[in-house]
Amino acid sequence: MTRYLLLRTGQAVLVLWAAFTVSYVLLQILPGDSILIKFQNPELGLSPAQIAEIRAYYGDDAPAITGYLHTMLGFLRGGFGYSVDTGTPVVERLAEALPETAGLATAGFTLAVLIAVLIAFAASHTRLDWVRGALLAVPSLCVSIPAFWLGILLIQVFSFRLKLVPVIGGDGVQQLILPVLTLAIPISAPIAQVLARSLDQVQSQPFVPVVAAKGASRRWILWRHVARNALPPTLTIAGLTFGELIAGSVVTETVFGRNGVGRLTEQAVNAQDTPVMLAVVVLATAVFVLVNLVVDLLFPVLNPRLKAKVGAAA
Amino acid sequence: MASAAVLAAVGLLGACGGESAPSGAKASGGPVYGGTLTYLEHQAPTCLYLPAAGFYPNGGVLNQLTDKLTWQNPKTLEIEPWIATSWEVNADATEYTFHLREGVTFSDGSPLDASAVAANFDVYGLGDPDLKLPPAEFVNNYDRSQVVDPRTVKFFFKQPSPGFLQGTSVVGAGLVAKSTISRPYEEQCQLKNIVGSGPFTVARQVVDKEIDLAVRKDYDWAPASSAHQGRAYLDAVKMIVTPEDNVRVGALTSGQADYVRYVQAYDEETVKNAGFTVYAEPTRGVNNGLYLRPANSILSDVKVRRALQAGTDAKEVVDTLFTPGYPVATSVLSHLAQGYVDLSGKLAYDPDRANALLEEAGWARGAGGVRRKDGRELTLGVFVSGPQPLSKQTLELVAQQWAKIGVKLEIRPADAGTQAVDIKNAEKTAIAHSMVGRADQDVIKSHFHTKNRDVILSDDPKLDRLLEQESAAADRTARNAKVAEIQRYVVDQGYAIPLFEEPQVYGAAPYVRGVTFEAVARPVFYSVWLSDQTGR
Repeated sequence: MTRYLLLRTGQAVLVLWAAFTVSYVLLQILPGDSILIKFQNPELGLSPAQIAEIRAYYGDDAPAITGYLHTMLGFLRGGFGYSVDTGTPVVERLAEALPETAGLATAGFTLAVLIAVLIAFAASHTRLDWVRGALLAVPSLCVSIPAFWLGILLIQVFSFRLKLVPVIGGDGVQQLILPVLTLAIPISAPIAQVLARSLDQVQSQPFVPVVAAKGASRRWILWRHVARNALPPTLTIAGLTFGELIAGSVVTETVFGRNGVGRLTEQAVNAQDTPVMLAVVVLATAVFVLVNLVVDLLFPVLNPRLKAKVGAAA
Repeated sequence: MASAAVLAAVGLLGACGGESAPSGAKASGGPVYGGTLTYLEHQAPTCLYLPAAGFYPNGGVLNQLTDKLTWQNPKTLEIEPWIATSWEVNADATEYTFHLREGVTFSDGSPLDASAVAANFDVYGLGDPDLKLPPAEFVNNYDRSQVVDPRTVKFFFKQPSPGFLQGTSVVGAGLVAKSTISRPYEEQCQLKNIVGSGPFTVARQVVDKEIDLAVRKDYDWAPASSAHQGRAYLDAVKMIVTPEDNVRVGALTSGQADYVRYVQAYDEETVKNAGFTVYAEPTRGVNNGLYLRPANSILSDVKVRRALQAGTDAKEVVDTLFTPGYPVATSVLSHLAQGYVDLSGKLAYDPDRANALLEEAGWARGAGGVRRKDGRELTLGVFVSGPQPLSKQTLELVAQQWAKIGVKLEIRPADAGTQAVDIKNAEKTAIAHSMVGRADQDVIKSHFHTKNRDVILSDDPKLDRLLEQESAAADRTARNAKVAEIQRYVVDQGYAIPLFEEPQVYGAAPYVRGVTFEAVARPVFYSVWLSDQTGR
């Protein structure tokens, strides 16, 4: 068990390092750089010599390998450098943006899971075929809605027409409602689909009629036996949707004008603010790796048979 | 005679005082104090170092926080007293003496005196290499300052600098406390470090999202010609970044916001139909247009450049994509710019002439209708320009017009990275889509001179010489004559295809009164007030 834990943690660290290195190299290859983009602004009217001077001032003229080691050391010490676009330390920008996005992502994810569970269980529980068909069609409908369009639609209807929630001003909770919905609806789709399918699969297994023959009620079977067995694949897909959560938050935050990590990323990409982009990539990878690590480590807890296998391997 | 004087005075008051009530608003009593204005910005401010204040979101904030030595009346374009109560300029415009108003303080309590003004302009004129502060575009030929006494400051120039007086009125010439101007570049970029003497101060900032301004109650130094004096009417302004056009306009018409910047041409009807006011404010500078680079191997032939000029239908662009708020260009400069001459005759749409010129230049129609010469296709590259309204759509329409004369326009997306590298390369980027607003003759120099923005990557020493003569001509008539000569030259050489006079378009609720703008259409909130007829 300890070895499994160490192995998975080691893999996670390796993935993080690879993500850092690959993004660093890619950002170096990109045409242009933040200093050029910023100081070549015609309004400043700087000569190429002056721009070269500024580049030296920012230490941007050092060889790539020195820069790489320097930046990696900085990251290991928790220092992400300075945003070239605004002059503020990247850590500060992230510290401002993270809580916004964390709140949005957590609420969005929770709601997505709720919606998914609701749809899947309702479909699995109903005896009416047409209701079941309709319910199972909902996820594919949800997944094909672009977050951008959904956000605008929700704002138009709930904020501008019905005047239920303000988009401008409004307190913390009011400002969360529509973005959370925008984020949750598309994400709930894959989770609902996988959960519904696993419920079906488990239900068709031979042990179900056995339990039923023993006199267990439909509900008892669904909750005590079927749901428990249908959970692992759903958990995997839920972990994977975290990636979508990050991508979705870029769109959602732009539409709603929220200054979270998504917006920060969008602006950093626009201005090619390399330090910010690098920090965001590493952060996103870290979250992703962490979530999947937790999911993997949870498997043996949920499924005793897996625990036995891991134990046997160890 | 007396009535003329009265009229002039009234004109002045009306022009900058603020009671230019928007049409459609009922006149219901005088201005009232108090209230918070919710103002939606399209983009987040970037670096707030004052010479970089040309970016509209930056200027929109800094205008409320800083005052300038002089005020340019947006109606007459005359330079009027503000922090400087009077000034003297020597005959060849190489020495300027400003006499400052008494009792003006920055919001940190320090005095706005001659030494503070000198410290500001030394940086704006020369930059500061140690602090990484680049010099400002609006100051030409600066030599040094001299503090004569606490209320008198003198500036010396190496060569005549007739544009300097107007330069003291632009947003980038906002005066900041010594504690601000002595900071390095990165720190002056940040809003929290900007200390000005303006009618508002920063109460709170959420970077990239919101800036809350609070009124300065002891403010008492508005431009002398302003009808409104004393503190600003509003108690506070909430500037909220709302990038999505749909959301910005919807928030305005549904009553969640009072005033928004950047109403797209296709949204103007929506705003008007909801009973709101659209302000399309002229920017009085070099027009929105396509600027052709003679250093490009295809465009080095003046015949090709002239052909593109004749083959572009600016009127169709405006009629298809824009509204009457965007007048069709009749010269390189806006008809409201200083020294403008009407060149509409030279800029008429004439595809036959365009075709003839291209044939003459040796470009023959090839397969697919695109012209070829020596095995080379007549293809030109241009970047979509982020700051220009509907730039992509404009370029697409022009590409269709050019296809008719056998020219292929290759439109590239506005990706900052590639653009930063390729925009200075005439071979890759043959054409620039741009404009610049400044209400002074020097605006044309800013746009074309090799040491300034140099949009055409000029290789033409004659153009540089003309521009230098313009910026150093002390006499106004002589300057305007030079500006006229430059406009003719630029059009004759086919360096420019002016499209339209670009406005800044705002939308405001009918109860937002006293809306004013400076000479190049940045908002001024000083005299804005909220009438209570809405029962807010």
